[in-house]
Amino acid sequence: MSQVFHEIEKKIISVLKIESKLTPEKLENLTKLSPDQIRRGIEWLKHKELIEINESKKIHFRLEKNGLDSLEKGLPERRFLDLINKSPMTILELQKQLGPVFGPAMGIAKKNNWVESIENKISLKSYPSIIPGEKTLKQIGKDGIPEIKTDKDDLTALLQRPDFIKEDIVKIKEITLSKLGQTLDFTNSDSGAIDVEAKVPETYVAKTHPLKDTIDEIREIFVTLGFSEILGNMTQSSFWNFDALFTPQDHPARELQDTFFLDGISSKKIGTAEQIRNVSKYHKQGWRYHWDINEAKKMVLRTHTTCITIKHLAENKPDEARIFSLGRVFRNEKVSYKHLVEFNQIEGVVTGTNANLRNLMGIQREFYRRIGLTKIKFWPTFFPYTEPSLQTMVFNEKLGKWVELFGMGIFRPEVTKPLGIKKPVLAWGGGIERIAMLKCGLDDVREFYNNNLGWLRSATKCQ
Amino acid sequence: MPVVELSYSRLQKLIGKVSKKQISESLPFLGLDIESEDKDLVRVEYSPNRPDYSTDFGIALGLQGLLGIKTGSIKLKIKKSKEYKINVKSSVAKIRPFVTGIVAKNGKIDDKIIKQLMTMQEDLHSGIGRKRKKSSIGIHDLDKICFPISYGTTDRNYKFIPLNSVDEKTILDILKNTEVGREYGGVLGNSSQVPIIIDSTGQTISFPPIINSSITTVTTKTKNLFVEVTGINKEDAEDMLSVVATILHTAGFNLISTNITGSKNSSPKLESRKITVTPQLINESLGLELNNSKIISSLKKSRLDASIKGKNIVCDIPPYRFDIFGQMDIVEEVALGYGIENLTSLLSPSETLGAIHPISSQLKSLSLVMIGLGYLEALNSSLTSKKILYEMTNREPNNSISVLNSKSQEHTILRDLILPGLLENLSRNIHLPYPQKLFETGTIFVKNNPIYEKTNLAAVFANQDANFTEIKSILQSALKVGFNLDIETKTSTHKTFEKGRTASILAHGKTIGTIGQINSQTIEKYKIRVPVVGFEIILSGLIFD
Repeated sequence: MSQVFHEIEKKIISVLKIESKLTPEKLENLTKLSPDQIRRGIEWLKHKELIEINESKKIHFRLEKNGLDSLEKGLPERRFLDLINKSPMTILELQKQLGPVFGPAMGIAKKNNWVESIENKISLKSYPSIIPGEKTLKQIGKDGIPEIKTDKDDLTALLQRPDFIKEDIVKIKEITLSKLGQTLDFTNSDSGAIDVEAKVPETYVAKTHPLKDTIDEIREIFVTLGFSEILGNMTQSSFWNFDALFTPQDHPARELQDTFFLDGISSKKIGTAEQIRNVSKYHKQGWRYHWDINEAKKMVLRTHTTCITIKHLAENKPDEARIFSLGRVFRNEKVSYKHLVEFNQIEGVVTGTNANLRNLMGIQREFYRRIGLTKIKFWPTFFPYTEPSLQTMVFNEKLGKWVELFGMGIFRPEVTKPLGIKKPVLAWGGGIERIAMLKCGLDDVREFYNNNLGWLRSATKCQ
Repeated sequence: MPVVELSYSRLQKLIGKVSKKQISESLPFLGLDIESEDKDLVRVEYSPNRPDYSTDFGIALGLQGLLGIKTGSIKLKIKKSKEYKINVKSSVAKIRPFVTGIVAKNGKIDDKIIKQLMTMQEDLHSGIGRKRKKSSIGIHDLDKICFPISYGTTDRNYKFIPLNSVDEKTILDILKNTEVGREYGGVLGNSSQVPIIIDSTGQTISFPPIINSSITTVTTKTKNLFVEVTGINKEDAEDMLSVVATILHTAGFNLISTNITGSKNSSPKLESRKITVTPQLINESLGLELNNSKIISSLKKSRLDASIKGKNIVCDIPPYRFDIFGQMDIVEEVALGYGIENLTSLLSPSETLGAIHPISSQLKSLSLVMIGLGYLEALNSSLTSKKILYEMTNREPNNSISVLNSKSQEHTILRDLILPGLLENLSRNIHLPYPQKLFETGTIFVKNNPIYEKTNLAAVFANQDANFTEIKSILQSALKVGFNLDIETKTSTHKTFEKGRTASILAHGKTIGTIGQINSQTIEKYKIRVPVVGFEIILSGLIFD
């Protein structure tokens, strides 16, 4: 048990040391604490077995309407006797003077042989100095008294009379110090100390989503590396998602089982006449097939954010630029612990003087360094729209092996030339969830979108 | 990505002096990802643009180059001959117009080679063959065929004994009752005539692009091979043939040409082409300063021959390298031959200043305000289900945008509101402590042409004492503190919200969303046992464009 006491507890104990038995009301008076503080203090002390609570029932008397009336004017029989004490009176006169109490008063006076009837008048026979009940009436008074303080015989006279006395049953709570409580001594304890070792309830912190934290971190890194963010739609024409990136219309990636096509929606305007003409020309030359504009018009959920960057480059044709786009992309896959149909991708491009492969590798290395990944290497790979193409391999300490992260390369001339982009363009990108999984120590990518409050509330903000 | 299974010991035999370790360390630098290893066996993933890597012969060629054991281009020696004549009939013009082929003699054929040839064939079919539509391949035992042969058409009642069968079957039967027939029959469309290759004795050789005849089956007893490729495009057919010819050449076969005539067909040339590139482009693209001889030696390591012509490098591209389109592909070959591991990273200072998009910044601020108000951020897919979006919230699926052939039932339709997802989130957490307060910002989709994509904010509050006043106060404070925006609420109705406890949200006199208590139907469907209040507003057009 903690030996640290709350100020409330201390006050209650101190008072109980002086007066061993107190009701909560008396405690209030003596400690100057509020009823609620007393209630709480009693609870705490009871829990700590420092006090004992004795509960008992007591009867309490108070005056009712007729009792109060008699207290003020005297008992009806006393008033009756006082009237005839001056001179005998007729019944009619007495009734007039006393009102409804005449009957009971007359009855009691006759019964006690205090009066007699002479020639139609009631006259006094003897005048009692004390009438039964008068003493009790005064004792109870306006405030009432507990049963124990009454004169039982005198009380009986009043109890039988209607509307004179009311009996209340009062529950009484009395607090005394337990044996343990009596041993307490506060003289040496620090004032104001609280039980700092006690367990406290959990508070749930409202916070940003862990995946959003990784996204924000990546966004900041790109900005500090000189990149500007661009945004774009998730629904795209096949033209920008595939054709502009030199992906032939009969390429397996463009099949229903890999890409989400929107049901019955075709884009009205996919690009400028020149863009369409040039792109189709390069497709016919490079892939030797009949390029169909209707295929290019089919709307898809973007399979990468590259469609956003290429569109931006085609529209702005910058000589010198570092841009990035970040957002959701879609793949028609079976959902599993490592695959989602919808996930976030970051895509960065550089165009300008230093747009070469070694610089692209340098930017990658710097990016990874900033998110805390230093053991990286590059392997060649293939992407339909970049040449040369590389992929970053990152050593995953937990798995003890190299895992693939971002892909990168220089946009093929077959991509840039038809769109009038003259400078070489470095591009790279990849999924953000993979990085976030490393950061959050997750094995199942689905956790990010489960919105399981147990995880969201407890997940530490990713480092 | 296709996968090929290799044997280290076999590779060592093919490559020459090389250790197992050298092979496994070099594979990734050819662009081959090691998928798994088991003692002598290794499974590697290769990219479909390099079908020559579908066999160990092709991979051995690449490794020889990279390791400097044998460099330079593979030169096909094809003996000219008039012996192997193929006559093409004009009837194929409208169905599958082109055929090409080659003869390969005196090679050693064992089980392993047969297995490699089979995988190569399948990978060629699914990759550049576009599931046999563009071009397809047949490999036959040459000695079972009597030349000249003809490539023509026949009707669907034609009978022959197909591969892996002992009985004659009709074309109809093959298309209907065999696995290959069902899978690739669609390539032939509905035409009554189908392609057929028949030899001079009238014997069926092949029914392209579906199945070979049984008689020409290649076995370990086979000495000489005949390879035919049919297709809808001459160049594609020859590209495919060039891969097979190169592999067979590497496997030690002597190649002999076929003599093809008729209906715009001709004998394949399988010649190399030339691509000229400047050293400047190579060095500028890679960030290197390589001299010409280093460029040439690097290309040789990538198994390409090159020479200097004036200020330019002229590169000789063998026919099987049809993945090479132009100069930038040569740049990559230089990089691979130079060795990606030898390229060091450079970090040049940025010429540009970076910036977060204003919308991203504003959404971030809004998130922070919501968090300040005690709301936890949730994330849901924008591609969701009819059940979550409409059925559970009593709304009608009018104008919904759905995707075709989704592999997942839970992801078939684009969300037009965020709130239904949040309600579903609450239903998954009914066993956890309350109050539960969630918000999400994200994209919603409105059917139109073009489709409108808007950014919304939605929030829900679930607790025993959740009430309208509290959620209105949250919304009011979020917009006031976040954007100095004042809102009004006007009584309205909504299928998801309780009648009499629903309001439209107005800002600048324009409706921007709905707020209220979620109705009992929805709460009961989700088995949520506490009252839920919530709102959703459109931020696009209100806070940003």
